[in-house]
Amino acid sequence: MRDNNEEKFIFAACTYFAKNHPGETCGSNGLPLTPSSISILGRAQRLLTIQHPNLCTYLDIIRGKHERIIVVTEVFGKSLEEWKSKFSFDEVTNIGLQISKAMLFLHKQDIVHRTLADGNILLDGSGRVKLFNYGMYYMTGGGSDVPFPLGLPRYLSPETILNGGGPAADIWTFGIILLELCIGKLWQNLKPGPILRRILTLVHAANPAERIAREHDCFEAYKLVSDHLRNIIEKCLKIYPSERATFEEVVEELSQANVKTVVDVKKPRGLMGCKLQYLYHWWQLTGGDIQAELKKNGLIKNSPPILSMPIAILLDGCTIGGKRGALFDRRIAKYSLDLLKARLSHIPPQDFYPLMHERRRDYDAVALPKIIRERDTEYQFYRLLWFQRLLIGYPYTAQYIRAEAEIDIPPLVRGDVWAALLGVKGDIEEQYERIDKETPTPTDRQIDVDIPRCHQYCWLLCGSAGHRTLKRLLKAWLLTNPQYVYWQGLDSLTAPFLYLNFCNEARAFACLSAFVPKFLHKFFLKDNSAVIKEYLAKFWQMAAFHEPELATHLHEINFVPELFAIPWFLTMFSHVFPLHKIVHLWDALLVEGPALPLFMGVGILRQLKDTLLDSGFNECILLFSDLPEIDIGECVKESIEMCRSSPKSISYRRFTNEPEVKDPMDIVEIPMEVLLSEISPRISMSDFFSLTCQDKCCVVDIRSNLLYEKSCIEGSVNVPYSGVQLGQRDLRALGLNAHRALRHAVTHKNTIVIASAEDETAQLFSDYLVKCNVPRVCILYGGISALQSHVPSLFIVPIKKTGSK
Amino acid sequence: MATNRSGASQRPNGAPQTKVCQFKLVLLGESAVGKSSLVLRFVKGQFHEYQESTIGAAFLTQTVCLDDTTVKFEIWDTAGQERYHSLAPMYYRGAQAAIVVYDITNQDTFGRAKNWVKELQRQASPSIVIALAGNKSDLAAKRMVEFDEAQAYADENGLLFMETSAKTAMNVNDIFLAIANKLPKSEGAGGGSAAGARRLADGEQPRSSACCK
Ligand SMILES: Nc1nc2c(ncn2[C@@H]2O[C@H](COP(=O)(O)OP(=O)(O)OP(=O)(O)O)[C@@H](O)[C@H]2O)c(=O)[nH]1
Ligand SMILES: [Mg+2]
Repeated sequence: MRDNNEEKFIFAACTYFAKNHPGETCGSNGLPLTPSSISILGRAQRLLTIQHPNLCTYLDIIRGKHERIIVVTEVFGKSLEEWKSKFSFDEVTNIGLQISKAMLFLHKQDIVHRTLADGNILLDGSGRVKLFNYGMYYMTGGGSDVPFPLGLPRYLSPETILNGGGPAADIWTFGIILLELCIGKLWQNLKPGPILRRILTLVHAANPAERIAREHDCFEAYKLVSDHLRNIIEKCLKIYPSERATFEEVVEELSQANVKTVVDVKKPRGLMGCKLQYLYHWWQLTGGDIQAELKKNGLIKNSPPILSMPIAILLDGCTIGGKRGALFDRRIAKYSLDLLKARLSHIPPQDFYPLMHERRRDYDAVALPKIIRERDTEYQFYRLLWFQRLLIGYPYTAQYIRAEAEIDIPPLVRGDVWAALLGVKGDIEEQYERIDKETPTPTDRQIDVDIPRCHQYCWLLCGSAGHRTLKRLLKAWLLTNPQYVYWQGLDSLTAPFLYLNFCNEARAFACLSAFVPKFLHKFFLKDNSAVIKEYLAKFWQMAAFHEPELATHLHEINFVPELFAIPWFLTMFSHVFPLHKIVHLWDALLVEGPALPLFMGVGILRQLKDTLLDSGFNECILLFSDLPEIDIGECVKESIEMCRSSPKSISYRRFTNEPEVKDPMDIVEIPMEVLLSEISPRISMSDFFSLTCQDKCCVVDIRSNLLYEKSCIEGSVNVPYSGVQLGQRDLRALGLNAHRALRHAVTHKNTIVIASAEDETAQLFSDYLVKCNVPRVCILYGGISALQSHVPSLFIVPIKKTGSK
Repeated sequence: MATNRSGASQRPNGAPQTKVCQFKLVLLGESAVGKSSLVLRFVKGQFHEYQESTIGAAFLTQTVCLDDTTVKFEIWDTAGQERYHSLAPMYYRGAQAAIVVYDITNQDTFGRAKNWVKELQRQASPSIVIALAGNKSDLAAKRMVEFDEAQAYADENGLLFMETSAKTAMNVNDIFLAIANKLPKSEGAGGGSAAGARRLADGEQPRSSACCK
């Protein structure tokens, strides 16, 4: 049975330094070399995704100061080094089998362990085995990114000592481990040099295992080992790597031994039954601090910098002297969950198993800004468990996921949730696998120069692993979208998906492939000028609709969106904001749909409104060339508010992937030249109709008095265009009635719909209203005559009032 | 060698007779040759290894002082990718000066620079002052475009020419100063065909029509 002490610690950290590049050397492109720690981090991402019952799960790889790397992983039981008791042959077989299963799994993933040792094989009271920190060789690029040698001397295979060795070296080490388990530790009192020499002399031995046993005066003991085990040991300890067994064979043979296997341990319930990654995440939110514990345990020491200064620096930048961890520090710091348990102690047991049909609790935290919610332990506890349930049920739960994502998305599962929101499903790996991502194309040059400039502050994207993957993603996307070409900015657009799916390239690709048709349909055509023009024109109209004062000012100083907003929309803001802001923008985007970005643009303008209103052309354009801090939370909130309160048809665009609008009641499409000249958007008859029904609009009929009196829309005001003095920017000039109606509409946030007999006057009059700072102005598509023929019921003959102009 | 500081903008105190001239300057050239880096070095005295690529264009201003005039540059830094070419006229139209940049370690970018020069000679205002900048001179070990070849080409076409490095700041201020010196600064000299000065679209305010105040 496990003792309490074992359960207390569930994860551990160890730390080491990555190698420094000598001097300030630059790569061939003139850019500085990627620091080794970044390369390590890039490779280690894959380790974070490895799940196997006999492998300790990697939880985090942290980059500290001065190229320090901290590895956080699951821990359990005690290492074989710490178990002082002797094992029976059955127990050895059991341990060996579990080790070899883990090793087989790693080798199948092309991961060589190289550092397998008694210190990193963990065993608990119930006989379960897990390998600890098995990825050192892998994450350090075969040891090339660290200044110390990898592996303990007594476990090194002869060919490894001679500077070679592939996966078969692990088999040798495994053989030594089995041998040690049977006859005791080897070469106990020798220094590394002599140990290595001993191992090399084995080269001449016909049976190295026997020879080792003899050397240790253990030959008798060795002969007592069961034939079966001895046989396996000897198959592992062959001098020639090619003659050694493989883990496949070892697993096969050990399984035949038919020893009583591991005691079944019931899967813990409650907190300890939650995913380890979640526990670690919550623990951090509660204030858990990996580095602090390492410092407390003396694994991170702050020595005065003067002591670590080199004694000499050569002209080529190489340094001599100055100490910095010469060998790998094998100590680990263990962490308990006490902090987290205390924090969540009041949570009733049933809350660990939320049921979908139950009404969800409302948490107080929902009122807080998203960034704060993301740091709240309890809130993230509930959210993660809930999302976990929903994600298991995807794609059947797609609509629930959407509804929950509307509230917020827990950062830990953002990648999964985005994929769900984008409808990614099916065998995406297989599809991605089949795409040719390697053959050179003429676009490569541009991609190559763009990638080292793309979100390089992010340590995931700035390493060579990030660069390579981003390039593959871009090439794959271009190949599968022959109608499109590479526009600078596509790199930035791809980056968020890579960032969230760093070890799931296929899903990053599937997300990108689903994102573009939805949000950027036709944007990457070779000739995309019409698409962009339309988009910018629509954006400008939305600005006039919601921010008439600002729009007027910008129009007057001739500040057009072509000068600053192309990167906004072409990359859905991914070229203008850092990743931590983009994820929040896109959270909203993916839920709200393709109209939202237009309003996000307006949201940004709104935040800069005061400055913009006070600025001339130059100051404005300067402001956008170097965008000041934008409060993304606020921008998202406002833009959603604007988007939802705007009639759908006013943001209609022709270049979308949505089905063509057929119903004449829904049509708002106008020729491009007209669109480009209109400041206010058009509203469709059906949107207009529903606004009227909800009493949410104010109709201004600008036909002549004569026509108006024959028949007019019920509730409309008549402002004959011919009488309007466009120069006079004062609503009172429109007459008492109209002024009152418009004021009323503005205060009640109603939409103001201009109805006219011809487009030109409607345009000029809407322009005029915008200049008078009237928000929410739009033009009725088709004017009075279309409405009359489609919805005649809206029309009445006005009762003549004396005095009404 | 130029100094690293961008303090060229300090006005000499108390020189009321100083003329202030504004000029619109545009940077053109293949992607990743270092246009944005040159501007950043000139305007802020900084160099970012991982300078983001430019989409559309960016706008910055910087002021330099000559003996008797203060020259304010309004700088349009354009996108280098060929696909964004169609936007370029919007920026070079009415510009009084242009810096065409290539990367000395890449022959193709020099070819592209020549095309830009041709296009400017054809389409831009005839009085435009064009400078050719061979950037990344710090990477001389990997040079693919010979200094003499570029110098000869510049001479033939009446261009100012310097090899620059945004990274080390070499010749960065100098090239802008050389342009400032070459630009006509007397009243009306900047007029004529350059009257469109900073006009970006038709119907802009008259304030943009004269370059000197
Ligand atoms: N070694 C060296 N590198 C430079 C120099 N100038 C720029 N670079 C690097 O070259 C790359 C491209 O520079 P940018 O300034 O972004 O190039 P650009 O011409 O603006 O490129 P686009 O915006 O794509 O048109 C960046 O990684 C810079 O760090 C230089 O003088 N020396
Ligand atoms: Mg640039």
